[in-house]
Amino acid sequence: MEESLIAIFDALPYMLQGSLVTVGVVLGAMGLGMLVGVVLALGQVYGPGFLRRPIGIYIWFFRGVPLLVLLFLFYFGLFSMMGINLSAFAVAAIVLGLISGAYQSQIVRGAILSLPEGQFKAARALGMSDRRAIVTIILPQALRLSVPGWSNEYSIVLKDSAVAYALGVPEVMARAHFVATRTYEHLPLYFTAGLIFLVLTYLGTKGLRLLEEKVRIPGYVR
Amino acid sequence: MSKGDPVLRVEGITKRYGEKDVLNGASLSIRHGELKILIGPSGGGKSTLLQCINFLVRPDEGRIWLNGEEVLASRKRELYAYRQKVGMIFQDFNLFDHLNALSNVQIALVKVKKMPKEEARRRAVMELDRVGLKAHMEKYPAQLSGGQKQRVSIARALAMDPEVMLLDEPTSALDPELITEVLAVIRDLGLDGMTMLMATHQIGFALDLAHEMIFMEDGQIVETGPPRKILNQADCERTREFCGKLTDLYGESR
Amino acid sequence: MGDFLFLQQDVLHSLIGGLWVSIQLIIPSSILGLTIGVIVGALRVYGHPLVIRATNVYVTIFRGFPLVVQLFIWYFGLPHIGIYLTPYAASVLGFTLCSSAYHSEYVRGAFRSVKRGQMLAAEALGFSRFKLICSVMLPQAFRRALPGCGNELIYLIKYSSLAYMITCIELTGEGKIIASETFRFTEVFMVVGLIYLLLTTVSSWGIRKLEIQLTIPGFEHHSM
Repeated sequence: MEESLIAIFDALPYMLQGSLVTVGVVLGAMGLGMLVGVVLALGQVYGPGFLRRPIGIYIWFFRGVPLLVLLFLFYFGLFSMMGINLSAFAVAAIVLGLISGAYQSQIVRGAILSLPEGQFKAARALGMSDRRAIVTIILPQALRLSVPGWSNEYSIVLKDSAVAYALGVPEVMARAHFVATRTYEHLPLYFTAGLIFLVLTYLGTKGLRLLEEKVRIPGYVR
Repeated sequence: MSKGDPVLRVEGITKRYGEKDVLNGASLSIRHGELKILIGPSGGGKSTLLQCINFLVRPDEGRIWLNGEEVLASRKRELYAYRQKVGMIFQDFNLFDHLNALSNVQIALVKVKKMPKEEARRRAVMELDRVGLKAHMEKYPAQLSGGQKQRVSIARALAMDPEVMLLDEPTSALDPELITEVLAVIRDLGLDGMTMLMATHQIGFALDLAHEMIFMEDGQIVETGPPRKILNQADCERTREFCGKLTDLYGESR
Repeated sequence: MGDFLFLQQDVLHSLIGGLWVSIQLIIPSSILGLTIGVIVGALRVYGHPLVIRATNVYVTIFRGFPLVVQLFIWYFGLPHIGIYLTPYAASVLGFTLCSSAYHSEYVRGAFRSVKRGQMLAAEALGFSRFKLICSVMLPQAFRRALPGCGNELIYLIKYSSLAYMITCIELTGEGKIIASETFRFTEVFMVVGLIYLLLTTVSSWGIRKLEIQLTIPGFEHHSM
C-alpha cells in the first residue's frame, strides 16, 4: 500500500505537467470547435441553399467516424499526404476541434433558432444589413444561450483528449502509463489519472458557470 | 357485520409538515351507501385527509377501520390489499398517459388483481360502458376531453370493486360544460349504492344527493350535519361565514 | 493496379474479421450497459437515500473518468489484485460500466419527468412500489429516455474503437496493422471510417424508426 502512495506522490508533478498539455489540447480544440461551429451554424441557418448539403455531410462525417480512426487518418494519412508536418499535439487539437465543431454547430444552431423572429425583423427595419444584424444582434444572444451546451461539450472533449495518447501526445494518461510501466503501480496511477480528469472537469464546468453568470443579461428569460 | 355499521371509520387523523398542522385530529365515519361531502376553504385539509385515508400520505397519528377491521398500514402487502378496496378519484385525473382508455382500466386488474387478460378486458369494457365511454376505449388520454378523462378514471377505480370511493374535487379541473357529465356518473354511482366521501365545491349536487356535509377548516372538522342545515343554518360561526360566501357565489340554495 | 486489387482482397478479409470483433464488442456492451443503466437510473430516483448516494458516486466516477482510463484500469490495473482479464473481457466490462452511467443519467431524468400523479394513481389502485415502477413509470420514462439512450448507443459504436488501446484487435486495430504494413494510411482509414459511418448511420436510422413507432398521441405534450 505504501509503495502505491509513494509512487503516486512521486509521479504527481510529472502527471500534473501532463495536465497542462491536456488543457492545451482541450483549449485548442474548443477554440477551433467554436469557430467551426459558429460558421457552420450560420451557414445552416442563413446560408444559401447549396451550402446545406456540404455542411450536412461534414457534420454527418465528423459525428459518425470514431475519434481514434480520425486521429490515425489525419496524423498518419492526410497530413503526411499533403506534405504538412505537424506535431501530434497539433493534430490532436485540430481533429478534436473539427469533431467538436460538428457538435457545437448544432448547439449554436439550436440557440439561433430559438430566438424570436422579431429580433431579426427589428434589426432589418432599422436599416441594418443582414451581416450587421447577425453580428450585433443574433450572435450575442445565441452565444449566451450556448454556454450551457459548451459546458457539456468541454467535459466530452476533455475526456476525449485522453485518446490523444494513441498518437504519443504526452498528456496525463500517457504519463500515467509511462510511470506505471516503470513502477508497476498501474491501478493506483490510473485511478489518480482519472481523478485528475475529474478535477479538471469540475474546474472547467465551474468556470463556465461563472462565465454564464458574468454574461447574463438582467431579466433575460427564454 | 350489519348494514348499519360504518364501512369506513377514521379517527384522530393528524398530519404535520414541519411546524404546521395540516390535519388536526380529524374523525368521521361513513355507513354503507352513504354519500358524504367535504367542504371548506382551500388548504383546509380536505385533500390531505382523503390521501391519508388510503395512506398516499402517511398520517402522523390516527386510526382507520374498513368494515370493522383496523387497517395496519405497516405491512406492505396489507396496505396494497387495502388500497384495492378503496377507490380514489383525483382532481387531475392522473390517467396513465402511455395507455389508452381500455388499458388504463385494465392494467390494475391484470397487474394487481392478477386477473387473466381476457376477463380483465371484458370487465374493463363493461366499466367503460357504464360511464358511457365504450366508443372511446381505444383513445389515449391526450385525445380525450377533461370530462371523458375523469369518467375513465372513475371506470378504472370501479373495476377494482372498491368498498368505498374517495373523490378529491373531481370536477374542479374541468371546464364548466364538462362538469355535468361527470356529476351524472357520480350520481348514478350513488343511486347504485356506492359508499362515497367527496371533497367538492358543487353545492347543488351536494344538496341533492349527500347524506351529510362535513365542513373542514385549518385541518379540523368544524361541523357536520345534513347539507341543508350546514349551508343555511349552521351552528358554528365559521361554518356560517364560509357557507354564506358559497351561497352568495352560487346563488341561493333551493 | 493489379497489386491494388490483390491488396483489396486481403485487406477486406482482415477488415471484415476486425468488424466481426467490433460487433462482438458492441452488442453485449450495449445490451448490458442499457440494462444496468435502467436499473441504476431507477435506483437513483426511487431507491433508499443511501442507495441514491452510492449510485451517484458510481455515476460520477464512470462518467467522469475518461473511457481510456477505465479500460486501462480493467486491463492493466486489475492484475494488481490478481484478476487477469482478456483484452476482450476488459473491453466489454469497460464499455458496459461506462455507458451504463450515461444511460442512467437519461433514465433518471426521464423518470423524474413523468408526472407525479401517475405514481399516485397507481398507488391508489394498490400497485406495489416495484410493480408501479415497472408497469407505469418505466414505459413512459423509456420513451422519454429513448433519444438520449439512443445517442449513447451511437457513441458506444464509435468508442468501441478504443479497444485497440488495450490490445483487443477489432476493426480499428486491423486497420492500423494493415496500414502500418502497406503504408496506405489514408486509404485504409478512410475505408475503416466509412464502415463505422455505415454502422452509426444505420443505427441512428433504426433508433429514429423506433422512436416513431413508440410515439403515443399527445404524449410529448405535458398537458393534463
